[in-house]
Amino acid sequence: MNYPVWQLDTAGGGLLIAAIAVFHVYISHFAVGGGLFLVVTEMKGYREKSAAILDYTHRHAKFFLLTSMVLGGMTGVGIWFTISLLTPAATSTLIHNFVFGWAIEWLFFVGEIVALFIYYYTFGRMNRRDHLRVGWLYFLFAWLSLFVINGIIGCMLTPGKWLTSQNFWDGFFNPTFWPALALRTTLALMLAGLFGFVTATTLKEDGLRERMVRYCALWLLAPFAFFLASAYWYAAALPQPLYAHIFQRAPELAAYVRTFLTLSPILFAGGLLMAIRLPGRVKKPLAAAMLLLGLVYMGSFEFIREGGRRPYIIYDHTYSTSIAKADVARLQEEGFLNTARWIKNRKVDDTNRLAAGREVYNNLCLPCHSIGGPMHDILPLTAHDTPLSLDAKLRGMGRADTYMPPFAGNDDDRAALTAFILQGLQHRPLEPPAAPAALTPVAAEAPSPFDAATDGYVLLAWAEFGLNEATDADHLFGLLPAANRLNAQLIRRGETPELVRDGVALAFTIGDQSGTLPPTDSEALYSTQVTPLSPYPTPDTYQPYPVVTVEARDKATNQLLATTKTVLPVITELGCKNCHGGPWRVAGQTGLSDVTARNILAAHDRLSRTDLLARAKAGKPAACRECHADPRFTAPGDPARLNLSAAIHGFHAPYTEGHAGAAACHLCHGTDPQGASRAFRGIHHAAGLDCSNCHGTMADNAISLLQPEVEAGKTEAVRLLGHLTTATTSPDEIRPRRPWLNEPDCLTCHQAFGPPETDSAFNAWNEEEATLYRNRSDESGILRCAACHNSAHALYPAENPSQAQRDNLVPRQYQNSPYPMGADRGCPVCHIEPMDTEMHHANSLRMMRNR
Amino acid sequence: MDPATLVPTPDTIPVAWGWFQFLLMLTFVLHLLVMNAMLGSGIIALATHLTHPGGSPAICRLTAGKLTYLIAFAVNFGVAPLLFLQVLYGQFLYTSSVLMAWHWLAVVGLLILAYASAYVYSHNYKPLGSGRCGVLWLVVAPLLLIGFIFSNNMTLMLHPETWRHYFDHPTGTLLNLSDPILIPGYLHAVVASVAIGGLFLALVARFQRHDNTRNAEKQIATGLRWFSIATLVQLWIGAWLLGAQPDPVRAFLLGGSPLAATLLALSVVGGLTAVGLAFSHKLLPTVGVTVLTVVLMALVRDLMRRAYLAPYFSPADLSVAQQTQYGLLALFFVLLLATLATIIYMLRLAAVANREVR
Repeated sequence: MNYPVWQLDTAGGGLLIAAIAVFHVYISHFAVGGGLFLVVTEMKGYREKSAAILDYTHRHAKFFLLTSMVLGGMTGVGIWFTISLLTPAATSTLIHNFVFGWAIEWLFFVGEIVALFIYYYTFGRMNRRDHLRVGWLYFLFAWLSLFVINGIIGCMLTPGKWLTSQNFWDGFFNPTFWPALALRTTLALMLAGLFGFVTATTLKEDGLRERMVRYCALWLLAPFAFFLASAYWYAAALPQPLYAHIFQRAPELAAYVRTFLTLSPILFAGGLLMAIRLPGRVKKPLAAAMLLLGLVYMGSFEFIREGGRRPYIIYDHTYSTSIAKADVARLQEEGFLNTARWIKNRKVDDTNRLAAGREVYNNLCLPCHSIGGPMHDILPLTAHDTPLSLDAKLRGMGRADTYMPPFAGNDDDRAALTAFILQGLQHRPLEPPAAPAALTPVAAEAPSPFDAATDGYVLLAWAEFGLNEATDADHLFGLLPAANRLNAQLIRRGETPELVRDGVALAFTIGDQSGTLPPTDSEALYSTQVTPLSPYPTPDTYQPYPVVTVEARDKATNQLLATTKTVLPVITELGCKNCHGGPWRVAGQTGLSDVTARNILAAHDRLSRTDLLARAKAGKPAACRECHADPRFTAPGDPARLNLSAAIHGFHAPYTEGHAGAAACHLCHGTDPQGASRAFRGIHHAAGLDCSNCHGTMADNAISLLQPEVEAGKTEAVRLLGHLTTATTSPDEIRPRRPWLNEPDCLTCHQAFGPPETDSAFNAWNEEEATLYRNRSDESGILRCAACHNSAHALYPAENPSQAQRDNLVPRQYQNSPYPMGADRGCPVCHIEPMDTEMHHANSLRMMRNR
Repeated sequence: MDPATLVPTPDTIPVAWGWFQFLLMLTFVLHLLVMNAMLGSGIIALATHLTHPGGSPAICRLTAGKLTYLIAFAVNFGVAPLLFLQVLYGQFLYTSSVLMAWHWLAVVGLLILAYASAYVYSHNYKPLGSGRCGVLWLVVAPLLLIGFIFSNNMTLMLHPETWRHYFDHPTGTLLNLSDPILIPGYLHAVVASVAIGGLFLALVARFQRHDNTRNAEKQIATGLRWFSIATLVQLWIGAWLLGAQPDPVRAFLLGGSPLAATLLALSVVGGLTAVGLAFSHKLLPTVGVTVLTVVLMALVRDLMRRAYLAPYFSPADLSVAQQTQYGLLALFFVLLLATLATIIYMLRLAAVANREVR
């Protein structure tokens, strides 16, 4: 941002440095190892009194001279030119800190050139002793130049103490200096052999050719074990987040690591093959092939090293975008277009949004993402993005993932960039938001009959989960199965009503399904898990609130004692497609399509190195809870990984930051008040509350879930937590909670069961599973809270989007009102007579407050 | 747009700026002399080929024997001043480089072409026959182009007020063609190369005369003649260059800065003296005075650069870092001496080897 950006587009993303650098590094390592090769081979010639070997050495020296001088030296300058053009700011940092390193390296280059000229041009004329001395001096100068540049390059990857001390020697002798030096030195020796093949295979005399080719093979093979040991040492010397990033996380590096590991035995085998007696016309192309193989091998190492350093150009100091880590917060606050130096469009409006977006792109994206070129081409990467998904990616980058920098700009910068990418590059109009998709209204469901004068029983039934979601792409992956628990309690009416514990059989029917509700151990609760549960009465209609009918019969006589109906929700309106693309599966308003599901799996495979998509395609789809513990289904998962809720919320929280409060929840859960399901529909919704009143914001929620995982020592939780900021409470004040087990509680606001004292129930969790609202009973210990008040998110009186009174079937049946059981002093529903003791809970003997 | 806002903030320097100034001047002069010899001998040899088609004039043989060394050392000696230039003026140089990025990067490709061709010319001189001239074109033309690119970059870096053209041309294709000093400055460098090239060839002939006494005197005379004519032309180009300067810079050079005016005057005197010595066939004194003149001119050039940048920056403005590196500076000088000693040792061994063969 301090310097102008070279607008490269197709050749962008670092293509030029990759091309020049890999080529130069290959030749320059040969220029080091080849020097030792020359002097040792010359000594071999003297020792064996072989004029032929000396002649070969002389010829090889010419090849060496031309290659290292013309190609090696010039491309070295080429690297310097290229980095100054692509990342002048980082180049300036390195130059101003390590100028004397480079100056000293230059001295060694001068010595190298003089030595090599003299070595070659006096070959055969200078006496042996002196000529070898010159040769050794060449190798010494060459290796010393490697020594110096190794220090500077290593500092870019593992700066170690230099970050704080700014001391030259701390930077030079950084954590990977010695292993990298070992690696490069052994590689230089191997390359000497590889390049030696080129000249050795051209020898005319068969015997000599075989001997010299075999000799070169020795140079390739002998250091191999040391080379691999150095590589192992190098990897081990990497500080932990960098090691994890390279070998466990960064999606693109997996291919380069694989290439390196695959080519190692191939190169070794190639060396062995070269040692076998074969005709010259076979050996020559083989030598060329080996040379090419060596280039790819070296290239894979360099790509691992360079790619591993991302998103930094100087690790932990300067990003690849030339933005200093220390400046990011300020840029996010003040804006990039406002602050950067070489900007024409500082103030963005409709007349210059695309031009401003182009400037943001050039500075913050082009260093890694070409436009239509081979390096991380932005066009396919954003081909399916929408303004919402692209904005989300720009917020989550560098926080949810480890290989990109965080976006160094504010909302205006993000909007300009989004416009540039979607309109300017993808030529798509910025779509207006989709029109709301309402549920098709249905006819009112009549409650079951009840005669207050004659009926002896009250049957209460409710769904365990009022907001119950299901992913309906089980053939691809299983996140949330389509299931809900149906609960019921049967009350024998009387002045002292009783819960019926035995002698009765409860059964249910829903759609074509039927089953029984067996009694449970506690408080005469009858309960069963109803699965599968389908929101699709026909393949293209969506009814997330199917009605279930429950009947209680005398076991002995089969006489029907009571019947009731309630809603058993199953909501498939999950908003994954908002970011992961794809259409709705059903009726244009709900359901997880195959496209979306596959995109999700592909993203997971990329970021976490899994093979979920392949498994799904092979007909063996995975369920998330196989790895990620899920208390809802008592799935233990893999204890080393985050639990499912912590993983999902912790990972996605940065992406959703553009949506304040409950809007973030609506992105994924079927709670969007403009959506089809509108699942948050009970009394609290009518009172004007939203998800965040009880559950906190997305970030708050994520922090509360991540904290126990941090305490359990999971490094991923620490990493994710580090990227979350919360506006409402300081992270230290947020209390840890386990998903499904520690939830917000009614009594936080409704102290002593009274009217609410506050409207925030966030950060006060129940202690354990038994004390959850859905598992609790009243003060008498008899009736479940939810039996009278209904499940959370659909508390009576609820307003259902498909038909207003659909959720309130139970109270309407017994009380002719949608309010909680016993409201408006309706004790006679069960007690026959009016009551005057608040036995169930304080404040229960009063008129309904919310009409 | 105020051009000063486009000048990037410089980084801190590890030791006082005077050290870098000294090292820049020292290494730049070395580079200049070798680069001039390289380009100049190439041009002279090419011109000689063109006037003696198919032949093998001695001057060309001399050039063939030295061209690859000259290129290697011209590039190598160019590395050091470029390094120190970036330390002192990086914020200007990186910027101008980006503005003309494709041209700047082309230097690398052109250099490889010129250098490879020089090896062909050098190693295959005899067998090439009449093809020599064509191959030498592949050396000289790219080098002339490189010189032009350098002239553009080194002048563009002095004109922040033209940098705003970047916003209309951000793809690295700009040059500094509208600057009146570009052409005279470039010609100044090329003609200087011819002069130094001639002097260099004369020197080579002198040191090889025991091999070839009959022609040595002729070659020395040829070399000196090229030098003299080029230097006289140089006076006219110099005047053109001076006249093309913006008024404030010209005023600075001609009196505003007593130091600059003195150095400039001494350079002109030096040039004329050298020409006089050349006409008298006094080779070594000519070389001595010429080298001195080049040093003086390099100093004038540096002062001129500072005059251009004065509204924006002076190297004295650079802050020295908290962590200074005087120890490393000392280490550099120690290693400089050690490397020099080693080089001298190796050159001695080579000289012995050459003598023994004879």
